[in-house]
Amino acid sequence: MLRAPFRRLIDPALPTPPDAFRRGPFRAGVFRSALRSERLTSQLGLWLGIAFGTCFLTGLISHLIQHPPGWFWWPSRPVWLYRATQGIHVATGLATVPLLGAKLWSVYPRLFTWPPARTVVHTLERGSVAVLVAAALFQVVTGILNVARWYTPMGFFFTTAHYWTAWLAIGALLLHIAVQLPVIRRGLADRAPEPATGGLSRRGLLATVAGSAVLITVATAGETVPALNAVSVLGPRRPDTGPQHLPVNTSARNAQVVAAATDPAYRLRISGPAGTRLLSLADLDALPQHTASLPIACVEGWSADAVWTGIRVADLLALVGVPDGNAQVLVESLQQHSRYASSILAPPHARDPLTLLARKLHGQPLALDHGYPLRLIAPNRPGVLQTKCVAALTAADR
Amino acid sequence: MRYARAALAALGLAAIGYAVVGAAGDRDVVPARHAGFLATVLVLHDGVLLPAIIAVGVLVHFLVPPPYRATVQSALLATAAVTVVALPLVLGYGRIADNPSALPRDYAYGLLTVLAVVWLAAAVALLVRAARRR
Repeated sequence: MLRAPFRRLIDPALPTPPDAFRRGPFRAGVFRSALRSERLTSQLGLWLGIAFGTCFLTGLISHLIQHPPGWFWWPSRPVWLYRATQGIHVATGLATVPLLGAKLWSVYPRLFTWPPARTVVHTLERGSVAVLVAAALFQVVTGILNVARWYTPMGFFFTTAHYWTAWLAIGALLLHIAVQLPVIRRGLADRAPEPATGGLSRRGLLATVAGSAVLITVATAGETVPALNAVSVLGPRRPDTGPQHLPVNTSARNAQVVAAATDPAYRLRISGPAGTRLLSLADLDALPQHTASLPIACVEGWSADAVWTGIRVADLLALVGVPDGNAQVLVESLQQHSRYASSILAPPHARDPLTLLARKLHGQPLALDHGYPLRLIAPNRPGVLQTKCVAALTAADR
Repeated sequence: MRYARAALAALGLAAIGYAVVGAAGDRDVVPARHAGFLATVLVLHDGVLLPAIIAVGVLVHFLVPPPYRATVQSALLATAAVTVVALPLVLGYGRIADNPSALPRDYAYGLLTVLAVVWLAAAVALLVRAARRR
């Protein structure tokens, strides 16, 4: 530890405000609940840390799949992996609500610490806690708004805001753990008898928080776990509701592709080392057709199984000189002016025999809203990358 | 523990720095709105929501005798948590006319159902407790 004179030099004390200002919640003994304790806060903090870590890692995976840096590699199997990681991301975020609420309640009196700023370092430390609380609330609130598709209150693009604030939250959380580690260890090791509260005990509160998290999960997770569909009365989606009994995120009308998608002059353009080919729908239907059972797994956390029939992307790439589909492929949509109008199909997905340009869904011709005349469906990819109304495939040189 | 704390703090500061630099360099980020939303959720939570919850807690303290208080507190906590998750769905501003698969359920009914389950369980617990005390 630093010697006191040196410490005062690098961390000067700040003046204490006059006692006349110590009013309202700043007075001693205002917060009386005997339920608050270091042990309770440490336990809630431990759970919350695990929840935030889970959300951070699963969210980072989703971000990296959509914006892959050079070093990143994501497999095409197992087909359900992204469905699981993103389902866990959203379910954990929603289940965090009672946990974050209880944790902030347990430390609320510290907001009114007196004096408010003892030293420069103390002030900085309090500032970092404010950043942590703001970032944590930001992540949970924007996540809930996005799942409910209510974008107006946010006034910014959700995806990038949620991503950068995740780094802010995880950084402030690590800093907070570093500062509080001795208190956390003391709190978790504390076995002293607890005072009677007259109401909920510490264990009772922890059980209530856990029970509320389970309740929220059961009430919403049916949007991705078929077995819970009947009881998930608050699920933002039903896996069986939508055109051809499958949900969609953006309708064809909203994507402004109806005219282009139904144009009789439609041709799929495929480009590769051996040149460019234009294929009509009749040409496509004359190629070998394959059927794959693959889920649509949305970044919003819902997912649904579906049976797709169409042409293997690897077969189409072979027509333009790419053997075994071994290429990175740019998939472009008829849709214009959208962030998701094109996607990159990495080699593991391009060569996977389950990766199709689908013509049919559940044995019926693809509905416009599902990407008629032709849509990409590949295993283990987010729904936003399963480009609809495909106009062109371009194989990059390897 | 000293080195672990120093390493955690360094990692944390690095992540905060990455967030600030990254957001500043991202054309999709609107700094004023982003910071404004951060401040808004902080102030609304610490200045409105949490004081309101504590006020309800004080009311419960005076209105509900100790043997029954814990059950009522549990049910109120679950009610608050479920309502936070359900409210944007109940309000339903995310619905769009040409996409019936978005928000397909009756969420007011859904919320009332979940709250009915919570308070039914609480009522049973309270009755059992009352019966045991006689």
